[in-house]
Amino acid sequence: MNDFKIILFLCNWGPHTAFQTLQDNGSEIPTEVSMMIPCTGRISKSLLFKAFEMGADGVLLLGCKPGTCRYGSGTATARENTEDTREIIGLLGLGKERLRHVTFLPDESDLLLKFLNDFCNQIRSLGPSPMALIRMPESEIVSRESLAEIVSYHDAFACQDCGKCASACPLALIGKPFSPRELVNSIIAGDMDSLSVNKDIWSCLTCGLCYDRCPSAVNFPEFIRDIRHVIRKNGGNAHEAHGGFFQSLMRTMTSPGLKTERWNWLPQDVAVDSKSKILFFGGCSPYFDIFFRNHLGVETLNILMDSLRLLNFFDIKPALLQDERCCGHDLLWSGDKDNFLKLASMNVESIHNLGIEEVITACPECYRTLAHDYPKHGIKLNFKVTHIYELLEREISKGAIDFKKINKKITFQDSCRLNWLEAPADLPRKLIRRLKPSSFREMQNNGKSAICCGNCAWTGCDAFSKALQVKRLRQAHATESDLLVTACPKCQIHLRCAMEDPFLGKELNMEMIDLTGIIAKTIYWE
Amino acid sequence: MTDSQNYKQRKKEIIITGFGGQGIILAGIILGKAAAIGEHMESTLVQSYGPESRGGSCNAQVVISDEIIHYPYVNQPDILVCMSQSGYDKLIKQMKQRGTLIIDKDLVRPSPGLKDDLFSIPATRMAEELGRVMIANIVMLGFFTAVTDVISMNSIQKAIVESVPKGTEELNSNAFKKGHDYGLATLKGRQKKATGQAGAIS
Ligand code: SF4
Ligand code: SF4
Ligand code: SF4
Repeated sequence: MNDFKIILFLCNWGPHTAFQTLQDNGSEIPTEVSMMIPCTGRISKSLLFKAFEMGADGVLLLGCKPGTCRYGSGTATARENTEDTREIIGLLGLGKERLRHVTFLPDESDLLLKFLNDFCNQIRSLGPSPMALIRMPESEIVSRESLAEIVSYHDAFACQDCGKCASACPLALIGKPFSPRELVNSIIAGDMDSLSVNKDIWSCLTCGLCYDRCPSAVNFPEFIRDIRHVIRKNGGNAHEAHGGFFQSLMRTMTSPGLKTERWNWLPQDVAVDSKSKILFFGGCSPYFDIFFRNHLGVETLNILMDSLRLLNFFDIKPALLQDERCCGHDLLWSGDKDNFLKLASMNVESIHNLGIEEVITACPECYRTLAHDYPKHGIKLNFKVTHIYELLEREISKGAIDFKKINKKITFQDSCRLNWLEAPADLPRKLIRRLKPSSFREMQNNGKSAICCGNCAWTGCDAFSKALQVKRLRQAHATESDLLVTACPKCQIHLRCAMEDPFLGKELNMEMIDLTGIIAKTIYWE
Repeated sequence: MTDSQNYKQRKKEIIITGFGGQGIILAGIILGKAAAIGEHMESTLVQSYGPESRGGSCNAQVVISDEIIHYPYVNQPDILVCMSQSGYDKLIKQMKQRGTLIIDKDLVRPSPGLKDDLFSIPATRMAEELGRVMIANIVMLGFFTAVTDVISMNSIQKAIVESVPKGTEELNSNAFKKGHDYGLATLKGRQKKATGQAGAIS
């Protein structure tokens, strides 16, 4: 009937009755695909988004009028899910208008027909979705040889079976039946179909604690990362959190036609300069905040805002990448190397086109990925990558800077992605020591032995992840601090998630702020 | 960086004061040398030690001018650099009105009324952080160069490299840079404060 792919999710109850009337009357219904669903409240953000990822030009979620939902909360949930997804596809440059949630009574068939026609016309006038059809990594049966290659590349054969890794692994320590050593051994033995390999491979936090302890220097996190790629290629399930929403989101960013609007929230007082040779790379915080706003209420966008203000404070007006895409960290670490490589080359090409000499970022994952993993995957950079802590430390140490006192007792959550890189590992503490809180006390596990925030790359989140986070937050409380300073937007998200525990919530709750935020709030020219 | 031409047609009388052993005299020598060799100006240096010359207070009186200098003593300095409390106490009254006061923040406590009208730097602490207290004088020279416009950066850096012991050139250049950066940061801070933007979040 038309070349546009418009997906209609239709609630079983109210709207479907109206729809059926149209069918019975032989009305011409303009949509191509319609799907009956038990309740609009069951259509998650990831399902709504998935439709776009798979090439839909428009998506409709038709449900019952408020108050007529058979299950009570369906309408409200659907409204929230649609609103969040709309905002996200707006930032993505897809156009909010392509997704609607509308409610109908069973007898409103005329209204329904009119609405469908209007919507389809609107989509036609918008044109086809700029989203390219996303290829999932092509599945290929991976031979034993290529597995052996990974094993020997990471020198996993050197494993002495000593078990130091398992005794350091925070997952094992929290009681998960999980052992890095066993995992290495099963993989070496080629036992790829075993349950332990297929499940545990997605549980590893890639936090790197075991790597630090391993006498044979088996780089377990990177080894796991590469094995994940193989398993994914063989069609394995990545145990993605949140229905794979974030993986979908990041994959769709490989579409060349997308004109993202991820900076549209930028406040007036932040000064940027499109001609600058210094670029600020923001990362995916704008998306995270929308996704979690009704649940966790995280505000990781503040990290970007505060970073930009700190740059302005030092008279740096950076350029922004208008078509900035995800750096690809989460795809790389959840087994989708192909799409990671696409994102990487697109970002680097855009940055090169602007003639940028230095890229500054405040996100540890972006930092590691740009500075370390891009070159390692053969993508050459004609620019230098600087973490904002390096820049802050350099500028502050020049002098004439002081910090206002803050009436807070602080403790610090290390970022695993900074901890394992030589250069920036000490910087957060150097900066913290410059601050003037009532007190600064370290948690029991800190620095190189710090426990991570409990999830990496949105895979394998389970009850043990929660237990791990609870343990970490209890350590934070044990310092008697009242402000948890973090260095990564993901730490804020995952730890906040644990604080939402309905049974422990109050006990675990603690105010959090990113290090850039506390610096921006207190720094001043002497 | 400013062109050396801009420094001409001007006479500056400077006193650097501190303890013996802080490299006060060397700082004076470097300043004079930079003016004479780098800027092709006239310069004189008079060094005076207090009664107890070791560890006691000492000062370097430097005059820089584009005309011949007839009288090398400095009674009323345009610029007073203090690296000790006793030096400050003794000389502050002599400073010209609207003169420039520069102090080591950790070593000198200025009289309350003066607080806003001076330049201060923790030169000794910074030298310690660089690994040698001895180079506090060079940190101070870097700061001096940034906050006053007496000598160009080029001339003074050359004079430093020529005057310090062989093998310590890099350390001293570093010290100079630290002090200079601190000076630039101080100026920037003042400018920001003047426009009402002392903090990062307005
Ligand atoms: S610590 Fe290293 S050598 Fe020891 S069991 Fe683990 S991987 Fe093998
Ligand atoms: S990287 Fe972290 S979570 Fe994974 S096995 Fe090592 S210690 Fe455990
Ligand atoms: S910790 Fe919470 S926010 Fe993080 S992946 Fe798990 S469920 Fe999602």
